[in-house]
Amino acid sequence: MNKRVKHNTDNYLTVIKKNGLCSIQDLGRLSSQHLGFSAGGVADEYAFLFANYLLGNDQNSAQLEITLGQITFKAAQDCTIAITGADCSVYINDNPIKNWQAHQVSANDIIRFGQPKEGLHTYLAITGGIQSQQWLNSQSQTSTENRLSFGATAIVEGSKIELLNTCFASKEHNQHTAHINYKRQLTPSLFYNNIQETLILRFIPQPLFLGLSSKEQDLLCAHLFTISSDSNRMGYRLSTLPEKIITTITNLPKPTLSKPVTFGAIQLPSNNQPIVLMKERQTIGGYPVLGAVIQSDLFKLCQLRPGNKVQFMPTTLNFAQQQLSALYQKFN
Amino acid sequence: MSKNIKSTKGLPLVTLSYISENAVLLEWPEKVCAVQHQHIMHCQQQIGLALKSTVIDSIASYASLIIYYKFDQITHDSLNTLLLNVVQKSHLSNENLTLSKQTSETEIEIPVYYGEEAGWDIQTVAQQTQLTCAEVIQYHTQTTYRAYALGFTPGFCYLGELVPRLQLARKSSPRLSVPKGAVAIAEQQTAVYPNTSPGGWHIIGQTPLDMYSVKNNEFESTISVGQSVKFVSITQAEFLSLGGELIKEYV
Repeated sequence: MNKRVKHNTDNYLTVIKKNGLCSIQDLGRLSSQHLGFSAGGVADEYAFLFANYLLGNDQNSAQLEITLGQITFKAAQDCTIAITGADCSVYINDNPIKNWQAHQVSANDIIRFGQPKEGLHTYLAITGGIQSQQWLNSQSQTSTENRLSFGATAIVEGSKIELLNTCFASKEHNQHTAHINYKRQLTPSLFYNNIQETLILRFIPQPLFLGLSSKEQDLLCAHLFTISSDSNRMGYRLSTLPEKIITTITNLPKPTLSKPVTFGAIQLPSNNQPIVLMKERQTIGGYPVLGAVIQSDLFKLCQLRPGNKVQFMPTTLNFAQQQLSALYQKFN
Repeated sequence: MSKNIKSTKGLPLVTLSYISENAVLLEWPEKVCAVQHQHIMHCQQQIGLALKSTVIDSIASYASLIIYYKFDQITHDSLNTLLLNVVQKSHLSNENLTLSKQTSETEIEIPVYYGEEAGWDIQTVAQQTQLTCAEVIQYHTQTTYRAYALGFTPGFCYLGELVPRLQLARKSSPRLSVPKGAVAIAEQQTAVYPNTSPGGWHIIGQTPLDMYSVKNNEFESTISVGQSVKFVSITQAEFLSLGGELIKEYV
């Protein structure tokens, strides 16, 4: 089950400077929630899958999730990397390189990430993926479990990020993927199109939302919520519900026993400030739930910062499933 | 997106809600009830067998069960039919049954030191419930609890049902740090905090017992869902000899 990976000490990236957050992520421990462990995994699956796709990696190949940039690596060997997500104005030595592309790195090159002007998470993928200790059949790290010594140790200055021995992709390979990329019109700017404006979070409603009158539902969906500074990989906290619907919501029947909660669940604690559950959410929760934000919108939400605005819009389960399937098919 | 399954007596037995792209939530009447929970766990097992690799994970709680599944591998209609069949079959075979007898091997005893140094809130609990500390301990140790769910933090197991005399709302403001091994109560539930963590429950004691173990990189929770749990009062000397560490609360 959980194998300790073979170490290839001659091929790694060394962290030579680190100010932001950086962790190893894959698509998460999807089958470990019954043990009480959060599913975890990469925050922005779109950017993550994009990077693995550029390199011809497996969809689940582990990458580095860099939050708010400000990290510098030194390569021990030649390798091919891809950078996606928030634009950190990355340099290889003295040369600025483009986001959403694959790049060739030579031994002893310095890869420097600045601070992104917008967005939060940047992905650094390496051909073949990163090698690290698995925990619950995944390489994903969570900050709370790092403290309990589960999985690979936290990344700090001096850490060596171990890579596969053969991670050099030929030029033909790069041209090939670039070609597919063009043909399929993978345009990140279209995926994140409304990130500058208010992000519309489409959600699958639950009885608590449906218990409101249609006028009250409209009020809620017209309201601009501000992302609070307490937001993190576990949950995004939003500003208070519109005054006019608080009384109705307060009087609606609510469950008292804790039950399983999903990715994107919009919880409503008694302070009437909704929390959207993200990748490092708990498995079970007791707060009433308004609905669940569709997963393809959660990959945009995770890139927003405190102070950014969001709005809710109800949608159907079928639409949500179509959107998610379409997203995964792009990278197949 | 929800659907009710009627029982043979015409009462709604379970509600199915497709709450996320890849999750269906099954909900039973809201109660802490061992027989109903046993039925839920039986359904969980049967659904796993019937759906095999289409199921990603399933999590049972007090009166609910979530099935995470590969939504591109099964249609709504077939999933509905399958879940309906499993729940009805399990219900029929379970309906007139009492709780399965737990063997002594499946019952677990948790030693607890209930002294004030460990039970930070035991005096306030005593005041609020109008009991003496000794009575609080007596009420807490007299019940054989059932493990209803795992969650919150690794190894944290929700146990029920606490006697009504001890039921209190959660603390109005949660502590930022609850010590490892804290034995706590809230509403109808009791539990042990496996590690230092934030927490809003009332701490009435502390156990030296670890709530999980990691062997060969595999996680094992000390208490499994469905298991019977008893708390046993121990002295400070016994607590310390079992490796317990008393921690002072900094206020």
